[in-house]
Amino acid sequence: MSPGEIWRRLAFLLGRSGKAAEMDEEIRLHVELREQRLRDEQGLAPEEAALAARRQFGSGMRVRENSRNVWGWGWLDDLLQDLRYAGRLIRANPVFSAVVVLTLALGIGPNTAIFSVMNTLVLRGLPVPEPDRLVFLRTSRQPDSTNNTGNYGSSFSYSVYEQLRGQGEAFSDLMAFVPLALNTAPVRYGDTPEEASASMVSGNFFSGLGVQPVCGRLLSLDDEQRRAPVVVLSHGYWTRRFGQDCGILGETLHVKGIPFTITGVAARGFIGVESARATDLWIPLQDRQDLNAWGLRREKTYIHSPEWWCLMMIGRLAPGVSEEAALGKLQPAYVNAAYAHLGQPKPGEEVPHLAFAATRGIPGLRDAYEQPLQLLLAMVGLVLVIACGNVALLLIARNTARQREFGVRLAVGGGRMRMLRQLLTESAVLVGAGTGLGWLFAMVATNALRAWSGLELSLAPDDRVLLFTLAVSVLTALIFGLAPLRGAVRVPLGIALKTSGATAHQDRQRTWGRKAVIGLEVALCLLLLVSAGLLVRTLHNLEQIPLGIRTEGLLVFGVSPQHLQSHAETVRFYESLSSRLRELPGIESVTLMENRIGSGWSSNTNVFVDGKNPQEDRRSMVRWNSVGPDYFRTLGTPLLYGRDIRDSDAREAPKVAVVNETFAKQYLAGTNPLDHNIALSGRANAPQFRIVGVAVDSKYTGVREEAAPMAYFSYKQMEHISAMHVELQTAGDPESFLPVVQRVVREFSPDLPLEQARTQQQEFSANLSQGRLIARLAFFLACSRWCWSRPAFTGRWPTW
Amino acid sequence: MFGRTQRDEIPPGTLDMLILKTLTQGGPMHGFEIADSILQTSDEVLQVEEGSLYPALQRMLLKGWIKGEWGRTAENRRARYYQLTRAGREQLEQELARYQRVSSAIARILQPA
Repeated sequence: MSPGEIWRRLAFLLGRSGKAAEMDEEIRLHVELREQRLRDEQGLAPEEAALAARRQFGSGMRVRENSRNVWGWGWLDDLLQDLRYAGRLIRANPVFSAVVVLTLALGIGPNTAIFSVMNTLVLRGLPVPEPDRLVFLRTSRQPDSTNNTGNYGSSFSYSVYEQLRGQGEAFSDLMAFVPLALNTAPVRYGDTPEEASASMVSGNFFSGLGVQPVCGRLLSLDDEQRRAPVVVLSHGYWTRRFGQDCGILGETLHVKGIPFTITGVAARGFIGVESARATDLWIPLQDRQDLNAWGLRREKTYIHSPEWWCLMMIGRLAPGVSEEAALGKLQPAYVNAAYAHLGQPKPGEEVPHLAFAATRGIPGLRDAYEQPLQLLLAMVGLVLVIACGNVALLLIARNTARQREFGVRLAVGGGRMRMLRQLLTESAVLVGAGTGLGWLFAMVATNALRAWSGLELSLAPDDRVLLFTLAVSVLTALIFGLAPLRGAVRVPLGIALKTSGATAHQDRQRTWGRKAVIGLEVALCLLLLVSAGLLVRTLHNLEQIPLGIRTEGLLVFGVSPQHLQSHAETVRFYESLSSRLRELPGIESVTLMENRIGSGWSSNTNVFVDGKNPQEDRRSMVRWNSVGPDYFRTLGTPLLYGRDIRDSDAREAPKVAVVNETFAKQYLAGTNPLDHNIALSGRANAPQFRIVGVAVDSKYTGVREEAAPMAYFSYKQMEHISAMHVELQTAGDPESFLPVVQRVVREFSPDLPLEQARTQQQEFSANLSQGRLIARLAFFLACSRWCWSRPAFTGRWPTW
Repeated sequence: MFGRTQRDEIPPGTLDMLILKTLTQGGPMHGFEIADSILQTSDEVLQVEEGSLYPALQRMLLKGWIKGEWGRTAENRRARYYQLTRAGREQLEQELARYQRVSSAIARILQPA
């Protein structure tokens, strides 16, 4: 195309309407001249001449169209005309259009919402370059003489990390990370104490992942080596707390009472690599007791404890190295590293094997949610199919009524293709509106889901989801857009132009088709309802499971006091806090616990009864908790034998323990349980705890927990006291006590926030949130589908 | 419909050439005049189908072979008059040359052996 031509085409585009008028005038002149010629030459009467002239000229419309199409903008005019026409039709039938648009929105919206949840939890990679090259390290087991904090199988010791990070062949970078607290850590900027999700990471964490800073700089290997007191904020935390002000660089943030300098802010969208909760800030790996891994107090820091497996690792595979190759290279080094400071493996001990886990989705949640989400996606897909079916029926009915219109259009010379195009445009407009509405619906739904489920991440749709939605809507448009067309276009002109005769002409085929679609929809709706009902039933059952705990009135919060130098000081702190809280009106009982029940955390170790393993053939495990006095009374768990933990079970007093029913049945069967000592280690000088009580089984980690042997120790008699959770039994609505409790805690230390303060009931419910989410959503979908489709089934849509 | 000589279609691909050539005879013409001229000059053998005339004229406008200007007919009616451009003249020459080549080739084939 020559430049002149391009220019002329553009000029035509801009002056289209004027040119059309000119063309009309030219044609008019031509016809008049022809008319005149016929009159003059053949002596025809004026009317005859006029008729003959027009006949000779042919279809003026065709000529106009063909002339116009030369310029290449015909499609644009057609499209605009189609859109105008579609708009007119929609305005003329507002209810019908609204029904179609809503039906589509209800089909597409949930699809998008579910898919976007699935995307976040299961599919989406980390927002860094080449996320598929990143893998989490996993181990099949830990050496026998080690203990674990965190998820068993995901944690490693610092010495393992040190040895493996030097292996350049498998990984271009190996990073380690560990949270500073079991949940959130206390931080302070200025005067207000708050809680934030904080982690310690290796110096190459950000560089290995490929995260860029938005302000300042991120951590470096030098920072790690110097154990520098610097902190990097996440974009979300920086936005929430500091209003996106780059001026906070260089300011001091107190993390667990220790001053850190803010050195940078990570890129938007990066929320760390840990499951569910977004990380708010990162500091380099430290080597001090008050900043120990997971916030736990131990004899030594994790750096010097090769038997403490608490660090998590993520690595970036070296370019060109496959996962199998990397594992092959690392496995021998790993085994070496694992036993490096522990001595030789015992005879018959199984050697730990390294494995990789993908970093897609949210690890931890991914496994739990993947299948339910797939199920939901299938259900929602059904919903969409049903919606399409409904709309197709509606459109078919409508187009049948428009047969006359089509007949007339064809008769006056409108092309068949043109008409098809116009019908497709109508469908496209409706689908477009339905998709837009569905998208809005999805945004609202994902926000609600996020609040409901307690996940702190944005579940909002992203690019992949947008693409998915567009694909779905295009497919929908094609499916139900084309279906009615067949009927519309194969119209025998003669019949269509007659009036009521047209309606008598019903293909047997078409009626059968309609019935089939309706039948299918009914079946799908029923399927949906039944499966939703089953899900709800399961959930209901779960919610009815006895907990062994009376949760009414129970309020729980965490507190992490800083600057406590000794065991005695810590005990004094908690004792005075407990007694102060007990004094408050309305508080009936106060106790403490190291692991919050219902949160999923628990301590699990080997147990020895009277110095030996109670089971000959395998290891005996116990799930234990370090608790305060009046534990069982506060929680409302009855005791079968013996007594509760008391205030007098202090450091100097004889060491005691309370076990649960299952423990007594499994390990103490046939004997008086109160006659035995238990210990958590098999060493000769391990502290022995005398059993002083047996309690009814109660749920520890969560509602779905299976019965397990459990033991409870007095926190004052444990070697190390970590941050405890305070459980209050209140008279009345537990949440109403929050302000006064907060005031009391502030008295003790201005630095201390109430961490995750909520009712015990909420703690257990949060457990169920996954199931509840899905069941409720499914049920809502099923009901809405059913209600919405009923009229279509009974054929009682009003005919317009 | 009486007193007409046998009329044939204009062979495909030659309409443009005929229109261009017509525009070299005399001054600017409007659409009707062009069709008329072709009819007369061909002794009423070639009748331009009106449905193809105007699209062809638009095409030639697009390609820049002709240009159109609005003027007045003898009866003082508004009409669009078309004229050849330089590019149009070149195009005409090319088309004429091609037509000569093709028709002589055909003539050679049809000559009695």
